[in-house]
Amino acid sequence: MREQLENVLAEVEKVITGKREVIEKILTAMLADGHILLDDVPGVGKTTLALALSRVVGLSFRRVQFTPDVLPSDLTGFSMYNRESGNFVYQPGALNGVNLLLADEINRAASKTQSALLEAMEERQVTVDGQTYDLKSPFLVIATENNVGTAGTQFLPYAQMDRFLVRLSLGYPDYEAQMEMLRNRQGRNPMDEVRCVLTGNELKELQREVRSVTVKDAILDYITRLTMASREHEAVEVGISPRGALFIDRMAKAKAFVEGRDYVTGADIQAVFGDVCAHRVLLKESAGETSVIRVLEDLLKKTENPDRRGLFAGMKTGLKKC
Amino acid sequence: MLKRWIGFGVWLLFAACLYFFENNTGTRVVLLCSLLLPFVPVLRKAFFSPDETPEDEPRESLTVRMFTRPEPEETGEIRRYVPGDPVRRIHWKLSAKKDDLLVRETAAGEGVAPGVIPSAAKDLPSGVIPSAAKDLSVNSLQKKRITAVLVAGIIFCVLLLLFLPAAAQSMQGLLNRVFSASEAVNSYRYPRFAVPEGQSVLPAALLLLCAFALLLGIMAVRGSRPMALGIMAACVLFQVYFGLAFPSWVNILLCALFAGWMLRRPVRRKDLAACGVFLLLVTLLTAVFLPGVHADTEAASEKVRDRLTQMAQQITGTVPETPAGETETRHIHTRSLENGDREAETEQEFRLVTVEEEQISMPHWVNWVKMILLLLLSVLLVVLPFTPFLLLNARKKKAWEIRKAFSSEDVSEGIRAIFRQVVLWLEAVCPGSGNHLFREWAGMLPKDMPEGYADRFARCAADFEEAAYSNHPMPEEKRRNALELLKETETALWNISNRKQRFYLKYWMCLRE
Repeated sequence: MREQLENVLAEVEKVITGKREVIEKILTAMLADGHILLDDVPGVGKTTLALALSRVVGLSFRRVQFTPDVLPSDLTGFSMYNRESGNFVYQPGALNGVNLLLADEINRAASKTQSALLEAMEERQVTVDGQTYDLKSPFLVIATENNVGTAGTQFLPYAQMDRFLVRLSLGYPDYEAQMEMLRNRQGRNPMDEVRCVLTGNELKELQREVRSVTVKDAILDYITRLTMASREHEAVEVGISPRGALFIDRMAKAKAFVEGRDYVTGADIQAVFGDVCAHRVLLKESAGETSVIRVLEDLLKKTENPDRRGLFAGMKTGLKKC
Repeated sequence: MLKRWIGFGVWLLFAACLYFFENNTGTRVVLLCSLLLPFVPVLRKAFFSPDETPEDEPRESLTVRMFTRPEPEETGEIRRYVPGDPVRRIHWKLSAKKDDLLVRETAAGEGVAPGVIPSAAKDLPSGVIPSAAKDLSVNSLQKKRITAVLVAGIIFCVLLLLFLPAAAQSMQGLLNRVFSASEAVNSYRYPRFAVPEGQSVLPAALLLLCAFALLLGIMAVRGSRPMALGIMAACVLFQVYFGLAFPSWVNILLCALFAGWMLRRPVRRKDLAACGVFLLLVTLLTAVFLPGVHADTEAASEKVRDRLTQMAQQITGTVPETPAGETETRHIHTRSLENGDREAETEQEFRLVTVEEEQISMPHWVNWVKMILLLLLSVLLVVLPFTPFLLLNARKKKAWEIRKAFSSEDVSEGIRAIFRQVVLWLEAVCPGSGNHLFREWAGMLPKDMPEGYADRFARCAADFEEAAYSNHPMPEEKRRNALELLKETETALWNISNRKQRFYLKYWMCLRE
């Protein structure tokens, strides 16, 4: 892995212990210029993590606590009549002038508020009263949601879900990690010790490099077959969208980049497939107990991987058991 | 090439016609045998032997070598040109293909011009000339002399049979005996030669045997294939013409004899094996597919033929005395004779019987069907025994093409091809990788592989990924690594596989040690 990324990880790990894998994934998603949805119970450090990341990467950070009262204009800004000048003046919202937005408990807000994020997340701009304002670049949204079904939550609309690059969950720390965490916080705040090791511009530079990672047709073919298979799977109501396929590609590129390669392999696809697609697949009611993760594993198992397909295209290899 | 195939096609047609017109088991055995004969020498070629690289085998290895005689001393091996080799021996076609001069190997005394040695052999004291060269010169000289003597012997025998009165009469007696033998089993009538009573057939038989033996002698010396075929054809013609069939085993023995002659000299063990397999096949096929003529059909048509003869005789008015114990038809017939209007009645009956005969002897289209079926059968018989060998040959060629890809100019292409081969071989012996990525498969290799193999495999898998999914120029060194891994895989797999797997590896996957 690159030294820069190692440094970022090391700094973040000062605050969040024992979660290297998830942090790596989040970093990967950031490199892929995608938004992250953290789905977990309260109190496992989602906000802390986002804060730490913003500090390490030197991004301007803002946090919005979503409640049923938050309105779209709080996010996008609004125009107010200025009596002295006699015209409307745009008052920037939470989204303007920020690199990293933490949308806390996003699934507690009303649908209209959530929808306000759609344009910002996809086009990286907001439009108020016919006037379009560009957002700061890079612009990342890290949203957290409490598990669906806990009091006062509602489903995120499918269109909203589809805009997140990955959905991750932190999970509880293990014994060692929690001991470490408690020890670290005796009389000091590890957040204060976090240094900025990567500037926003450097991040943009890295993102540009990620975009230039090679993806051969064999890999694109694999992605296409996977997504198409998801749409035809018997337990699936809504399969992976073409946007999902694009995101798999982007995330896999970033993954390859993080691992120090400039080409994507089948393993990269398999590694990111679950995180990128789990929140894009809706199961049928008849699917019963089957979980989305199970379905995705099934897809990976049944879709011929690019290694095999590249080598043995159009021939029987005579698989044998002995 | 085309000529050979046309020749073979004509031969097939001829065989089909013979089969159609003459329909007894012995003939069929001989016909079948001779049908397959041209292919016998091909069998050896078709066997895959790992020490011969397919590159060195010209494409004609699977062609019908009918009506061609190989140069007696040629062994069919091909090697690189060494200064001093006779220009004559250069295999121009292959040389052009390989861009390297290649010569046909000779059995003994390679590079020795046959025309020079005999005189030299005379001049030099014995022991000076290498024994191989001496053998060669003596062989070819002696062969010619022996052949000349034998041919003279045959001509002498034939002349005796034709012109020496005693021998000629004895021959006629022999022919008369053959005629009687034929008449005993068939309904043919032959005009007899006027031969004095008590004429011995021994002289003619001895002379014929003698001529035949001399003929066999020529074949033994020269190994001439057209001649073997000719003799086979003569045997067939004899049996067909006289309607006399040798017992099947005699025919099969004959066939074995001739098959032996058809082999290339010097005879190799593999040739003999191929020959044996061929004979076994022929025997089995004839036993299964060509049982004898149905006795009851024969009897029925015989009966009708008798009645027809009688009818015809009655119409012409030359009714012979009815012998006692005539068939029932005969009684009906005589009764109708007493009722007057004799001519009409008989005509009608004649027509009836003709219809009856036609019903027994089946409609005409059946013959065409028979003909087509026979052609199909013969083609099938010719093709079937060789399918495995053809398949093997195809595999061999394919394996060679794969190998060619290893040294492709594009290094990543080469690495892909090599790694593909590694995986193929691993899958041939161990459970397949299923739908796992190859880098994951490093953890699932068979236990008996040498130490550190899994690591090397994993490294190579990473190289493979780089070759397959990146645009990097690959260093030559990685190709060498891959080749080493391939070699190691081959050895390791060969060591851990059992007999069955080795067979599969060797013949189907074309694995070389």
